[in-house]
Amino acid sequence: MSTAMNFSTKSFKPRAPDKGSFPLDHFGECKAFMEKFMKCLNENNFDNSLCRQQSKEYLECRMEHQLMTKEPLEKLGFKDLMDPPSNPTENNTKS
Amino acid sequence: LLSAFIYFNCTGNLFLSGLHRTICRRPQTLLQGRAPLRLQFRSKKSRVRLEEEERKTRNRTVLTYIAAAGVGMIGLSYAAVPLYRLYCQATGLGGTAVAGHDSSVVEHMSPVKERVLKVTFNADTHASIQWNFRPQQSEIYVVPGETALAFYKAKNPTDKPIIGISTYNVVPFEAGQYFNKIQCFCFEEQRLNPHEEVDMPVFFFIDPEFDSDPRMARVNTITLSYTFFEAKEGQRLPLPGYSYQPQ
Repeated sequence: MSTAMNFSTKSFKPRAPDKGSFPLDHFGECKAFMEKFMKCLNENNFDNSLCRQQSKEYLECRMEHQLMTKEPLEKLGFKDLMDPPSNPTENNTKS
Repeated sequence: LLSAFIYFNCTGNLFLSGLHRTICRRPQTLLQGRAPLRLQFRSKKSRVRLEEEERKTRNRTVLTYIAAAGVGMIGLSYAAVPLYRLYCQATGLGGTAVAGHDSSVVEHMSPVKERVLKVTFNADTHASIQWNFRPQQSEIYVVPGETALAFYKAKNPTDKPIIGISTYNVVPFEAGQYFNKIQCFCFEEQRLNPHEEVDMPVFFFIDPEFDSDPRMARVNTITLSYTFFEAKEGQRLPLPGYSYQPQ
């Protein structure tokens, strides 16, 4: 615990999460997506960038089952994984 | 002539004046030719008065300086409070959070692909809580500016429901200010029914400014550590950020 109140010691100040707390998935409704995500991580040597599609699907599952407030996925940083709208110039090279 | 004058002064029946003291105390230096300034004054009375006035003005000047210093010190101690806060924010000393990050930054940030960071996960429980709490992955490689998902797993092996509440810690401490959690399971009571096992996700990202901070140039591993405590019924913990109190 970082309880040191000395002048020059660095201490950690925890911050509340931006969107609050995830409600617990008591019924395991999104467990399948979680398994897929974990499998992807295991295969790709725990590289998050390669498994973003699975994490997006997990969050979408959560939103569907009322385990997370619905939000447009761009706000969650998945802008690069969204299907581009009709104009083809929208293809950002971010993933 | 000078030595005669000095001899006359020191042995004569004179009341102690500054001149007298100066001359008789240091006859040696005088004889060598260094005459004190006060030899210029003619009569003893005006000399004395002048010296007293000089002393008075000197005293007053010194007193003014001392009073000014005192007032200055008091003012400085009042000004130190906001100044110190500014200094801490500028240098990040004491782990002060960098002045607010906007949640809309998530939308517009772009990942810094060149900087790969390893985030390791740690799970702890307080001695009195009987949950089995562990991370589902020991580490994950992320880049700043990219949102990431990680899972913990908690199981209640007992026969009664247990309510837990958690807090987290990030080391190194200075990296903690760049570690932003979008959503997690901390600071709120989480209830686990008997023999229930749940997955607890943490959705976070590391601020892209992490890459441009010179203090973070050597940081390649960040450790996220969660600790679960047992929550008593009806206890509401203050959410950090509004009133940070050392525990």
